Amino acid sequence: MKPTKDLSERTLGWLLLSPVAVLLAIVVLYPVGQLIYSSFFTIRLTEPWLGTPFVGLENYARAWDDERFWGALQNTVLFIVVTVPGSLAVGLGLALLANMPFKRKWPVRLALLLPWALPLVFAGLIFRWFFDYKLGFFNDILMKIGIAPQAWLTDPVLAKIAICFTIIWKSSSFMALVLLAGLQAIPKSLYEAAEVDGASKWLQFKEITIPMLMPAIFVALIFRTITAIQTFDIPYAMTGGGPGDSTETLAMYIHKNTLDFLDFGYGSALATIMFVVSIIATSGYLRYTQRSAGRD
Amino acid sequence: MNFAALKTKTVVWFAALIVVVNGFFPALWILFTSLKTENELLQFPITYIPRDPTLVNYYQAFTEKPLHLFLLNSVIVAGSSTIITVIVSALAAYALTRLRMPRRNLIMGLLMAVAMFPLISLIVPLFQVMRELGLLNTYLSLILPYTVLSLPVCTLVMASFFQDISPDLEAAAMVDGCTRVQALFKIVLPLAAPGVFTAAILAFVNAWDEFLLALTFLSRETMRTLSVGITLYQGEFAFPWPLISAALIVAIVPVCILIAIFQERVVGGLTAGGVKG
Repeated sequence: MKPTKDLSERTLGWLLLSPVAVLLAIVVLYPVGQLIYSSFFTIRLTEPWLGTPFVGLENYARAWDDERFWGALQNTVLFIVVTVPGSLAVGLGLALLANMPFKRKWPVRLALLLPWALPLVFAGLIFRWFFDYKLGFFNDILMKIGIAPQAWLTDPVLAKIAICFTIIWKSSSFMALVLLAGLQAIPKSLYEAAEVDGASKWLQFKEITIPMLMPAIFVALIFRTITAIQTFDIPYAMTGGGPGDSTETLAMYIHKNTLDFLDFGYGSALATIMFVVSIIATSGYLRYTQRSAGRD
Repeated sequence: MNFAALKTKTVVWFAALIVVVNGFFPALWILFTSLKTENELLQFPITYIPRDPTLVNYYQAFTEKPLHLFLLNSVIVAGSSTIITVIVSALAAYALTRLRMPRRNLIMGLLMAVAMFPLISLIVPLFQVMRELGLLNTYLSLILPYTVLSLPVCTLVMASFFQDISPDLEAAAMVDGCTRVQALFKIVLPLAAPGVFTAAILAFVNAWDEFLLALTFLSRETMRTLSVGITLYQGEFAFPWPLISAALIVAIVPVCILIAIFQERVVGGLTAGGVKG
């Protein structure tokens, strides 16, 4: 009897998984194939008389010589390098603050949930205004403490700082929630034992909190990196990529090439490059979860 | 009260204050601005608390652009994708946790990996697929990708809830003549209701917040969702901030109420992936 039962269970299992498979095939797998395929062709909707000739690696060669692509890549890398550690640091700070023994937990919890639930593009809009030259909150504070107001969004360097600040504000609260759950999972007895041994708070933090928190930190970092590669909404809402192209990210440049310039072949090549980078980041996550699954 | 206790209390209060101000300040700022008149906004130096609170911006936000349609579109898109996500990921989570499937971890890992591919790099081919299928400017063009967007986290959340339900209950139901699928719907799902609910909220918020695909696939103004619709209030050079603030408040209040009521569940769901790993 047993083998037949196993078989039917297995069949049922595949049956239950089939909707997921169908959805992934339509939304991810087929488009990925189409993406890579299109990247070898010239597909310009603005010049239909060109047809769609096969051009091999020409689109990739064009990216190699495209300064605007390198600029966008550089900005994306900059945003990753600054905001991933930045939001980890701020998120860890928030998590440690939120882990204090409050009588009422909801105001703090809600304060961490609000930035997470706020759409990225809305965060961009609101902070665009915080950084406004005349009506903004930051310049108002600067003037109150006697510093000249800054042209936050029209200076290439300041605009990058403003965008990084906003991304860190927006993403650190999710970081904090994940880390807070990690903090709360650390057994209190470890700290009590350290206290008995006379370990200082800093030593406890360094020797107990950080090592115990490593899994949560790792997962949070991977998720943050994967989303940072795709940075679009916040710079789009704050500067539109300006001044000039100084805050344009790879995602914004891909969007511009396809939806504004209608150059699907070139856009596909750029998207393929981004796709490969993301796979590398995702496989890091996958290897990590596989390892910890084996540990259970 | 001795000095040490007072010190602890001050530190705790200060910690709470920092976290709360950090989280609430932007929302309060737009709430206050939405109650200001255009005149007060342009005053220099800027004011914080509105001197002459007015609701006229809310009225204008609805008359200047079809805000009620943006709201309706968002509800339809987020609502339908939430329902589909929950059903599809419940089935998948059940198969992966309750049935003896070969290579479960690998399947789970693949699901996560495939679904974590950046949708942004897929906008080009997805745009082509949607155009070929004639789905541009239809709700379905967003519902399908949004469902995939939330699949991994919802499957993970539900799997962790399914794992806690005793298999004996199902076995008993099956002895009484239930089929496996009936057992899933009559025993497991009701018992895992909190997990189903958590997954639903996460899927809803994900869909409610998405911007890039909504910007790309729904270009007709009456089809816009909230996240895109609100960016339409700005002119080439003019930023009617009080109006935008009022529209923003309308857009975020539904989600705020949702997460305020169910905050513990949401936090549990969000961190399920992080802590388990």
